[in-house]
Amino acid sequence: MIRIIPLVALLSLLAACQPPAATPMDIPEPEAFAKIIYPPDNPTTEEGLALGRALFFDPLLSADSTISCSTCHLPELAFTDGQAISVGINGRLGRRNAPGLTNVGYLHETLFWDGRANDLESQALHPVAAPVEMGGSWQLLISKLRRHPDYWPQLKLAFGLKDLSELNPDHVGKALAQYQRSLISADSKYDQVQRGEATFTKEEALGNAIFFDLADEPNAGEYAKIPTGECAHCHIPPHFTNQLFFNNGLDEANSLDDFKDLGRGPISGSKYDNGKFRTPSLRNIALTGPYMHDGRFNSLEEVVDHYNSGGQYAENKDPNIIPLGLSPDQHRALVAFLQTLTDTSFVSRVVRESGSQKVR
Amino acid sequence: MKYLSLLAFPLVFLFTACMDDDDPVTGGDVATTVNFRAEYDDTDLSIQSITYDYPTGAKLKTTLFQYYVSDLELLPADGGAAVRMADIDLIRYQSETDGSVTSRTYDVPPGDYVGLRFGLGVKPDLNAMDPNQFAADFVLNETQFWNANARYVFAKIEANADLEDDGTFDTGLTYHLGSDAMYTTITFTGDFTISSTANPELNIVADVFKALSSDTESFDISDPDQQRIHGMNQAIGQGIWTRLAGQFELQIR
Repeated sequence: MIRIIPLVALLSLLAACQPPAATPMDIPEPEAFAKIIYPPDNPTTEEGLALGRALFFDPLLSADSTISCSTCHLPELAFTDGQAISVGINGRLGRRNAPGLTNVGYLHETLFWDGRANDLESQALHPVAAPVEMGGSWQLLISKLRRHPDYWPQLKLAFGLKDLSELNPDHVGKALAQYQRSLISADSKYDQVQRGEATFTKEEALGNAIFFDLADEPNAGEYAKIPTGECAHCHIPPHFTNQLFFNNGLDEANSLDDFKDLGRGPISGSKYDNGKFRTPSLRNIALTGPYMHDGRFNSLEEVVDHYNSGGQYAENKDPNIIPLGLSPDQHRALVAFLQTLTDTSFVSRVVRESGSQKVR
Repeated sequence: MKYLSLLAFPLVFLFTACMDDDDPVTGGDVATTVNFRAEYDDTDLSIQSITYDYPTGAKLKTTLFQYYVSDLELLPADGGAAVRMADIDLIRYQSETDGSVTSRTYDVPPGDYVGLRFGLGVKPDLNAMDPNQFAADFVLNETQFWNANARYVFAKIEANADLEDDGTFDTGLTYHLGSDAMYTTITFTGDFTISSTANPELNIVADVFKALSSDTESFDISDPDQQRIHGMNQAIGQGIWTRLAGQFELQIR
C-alpha cells in the first residue's frame, strides 16, 4: 500500500496543475443536413459557446467600444444589417454587404464574398483590425481581455489557459466560431415541406418548379412548359449555396480589369476570377436585403429582375446566367418560393438568446 | 531508492504516451500517383485564359470541366481481383489557378498490371443515395445534383463562345450530363509494373475538344437548342457523352 502513495501523490500533483476542462457540447443537428465538420482543435463546449456569444454582441472588440459583430450581423435580420454596405467605426463605410450567418457552420469552404478566409476561426480575426470595421488592433483587444474581470476567467475555462501570456487572438476566433456554428436553422416552410409537414401554395410550388428547373425533368407534368430559373446550379439545398465563386453578370466588363470590385481575383491571383463572388446562402433570404456583394438590389423582386434579364456581358460571366423569360406571374412565384426559405423560429430563438447578452 | 523507482514508472509512462506513434510503414503497398490531365485538342486545358478554336469557326473559352470517376481500379496481370484505388472521385477544373492536372496518390500492392479501369459518372448504388448521408466535404456532397434530391450530374462542360467572331464571348454553353443509363465503364489495357523502385506515372487524359467534336462530327454549338443541355434534353447530349467516354486515354510513363 505504501508503494502506491507516491504514485497517487504524483498523479494528484499533475492533475492539480491542469486547468479544469471545458464541458463538451453536442449540438443537435437536423437529419436532413450532412453534419457540421468541427475542427479537431476547436470542438464546441458549453463554456466556449457562451464566451463566443458574449464576445459576438460586445462592442469591446472595437477600438472605441462602439462596434460589435452584431452591429453588422443583427439576429433579427438573420445576422445581416439591412444596409447596402456595412458601416463601421466612426461611420466609415465598409467595402461590401454584410452576409447572413444562418447555417454558416455548415459552410466548410472559404468565407467572405471573396473567400479570403479559410474557416470560421480565421474569418473571425479579420474585422477587429479592419479600419472600416472595428478599427482596432489585436494587441489592444488582447490587452483589454487580459484585464477584463469576466472575460479572462471565461477564456481560461473555455480554452484551458493557465497564464495571461497564453491568451492570443486565436482564442477569440475560436470562441466566435463556436457561437456561429450554433446558428442552425432547419424549420423554414421549405424545410417543413421537405419533411412532409407543410405544403407549398400553388404560387410557391410554381416558384419551386422554376427554381429547380423542373421543366427539365422527364416527368415535368404541369411544369413542362415553364421557364427554368437556373438558380439551383449554384444555390443548391440544403444550404442553398455551392460555396463557389461566379460572375453572375452584375456589371458589364469589356475587359476583365474593368470591374469596380475585383472580388475573388486578387485573392486567387488570377484576373480570370475578377468580378467573381462567392455564392451566398439563400437561407432566410427575405430578411437579408439589400442583396448582392454591394447591396445594389433592395428587394427580391429586383434580384429576380436581374436574373430574368440574363445579366451584363463579361467574358467570365457564368454561362448558366441566361435570359429566363419569366412572365409576371412566374416572377412573383419565384419570389414567393424564396420567401419560403425564412425560418421565423430560428430568428426568434437567436433574438431571444441575444437579448440575454449585455455589454460588459 | 524504492520510492525513486515508483516515481520513475509513471514518468516513463508519461514519456511513452507522448511519443510519436507514427510507426514505420511495414506494409508492402506502394504510393502510386494517378494524374488526371485535361486537354483541349491535345494541348493542356486552361480555364478562361486561352481562346480555343472550334471546327465550326467559333471560338471558345472554357469555364468549367468536371467529371465523376467511380471504382478506379488497377487490373493485376495474374488475373486476380482488381485493386480498388477509389470508390468515387470528382475531377474538376474550374479556375485558371487549377492548372490542367489533378493528381491523386493511392497505396497499391506492388506487382505487374495489365490495365486500369473506372466508371465514368456516379455508379448506380451511390447515385441513388441521399447526399446528406455523406460527410459535408465528401465529393458526393460537392453539390452536383440535378435537383434537391440525389441523382448526380456526372459531367459538366461549360464555356462561353464567340459565334460571330466579334471578340465577344457572349453565348453560354452548358452541357450537364448523366443518368444511370449513361454510366459507362472505361477500361484501358497496358502493361506496367509497380514496385518500390519502379513506379510508373499513370496519366488519365480527357480532352474537352474531343468530347464536343470528332473527325466526322462536330456538335453544332450555334444551334440555340444545343447550347444548354441539362435534364430533359439528355438525348441531345448523348453524343457528347459518348464522345467523352470514348476519348479517354491512359498514358503510362
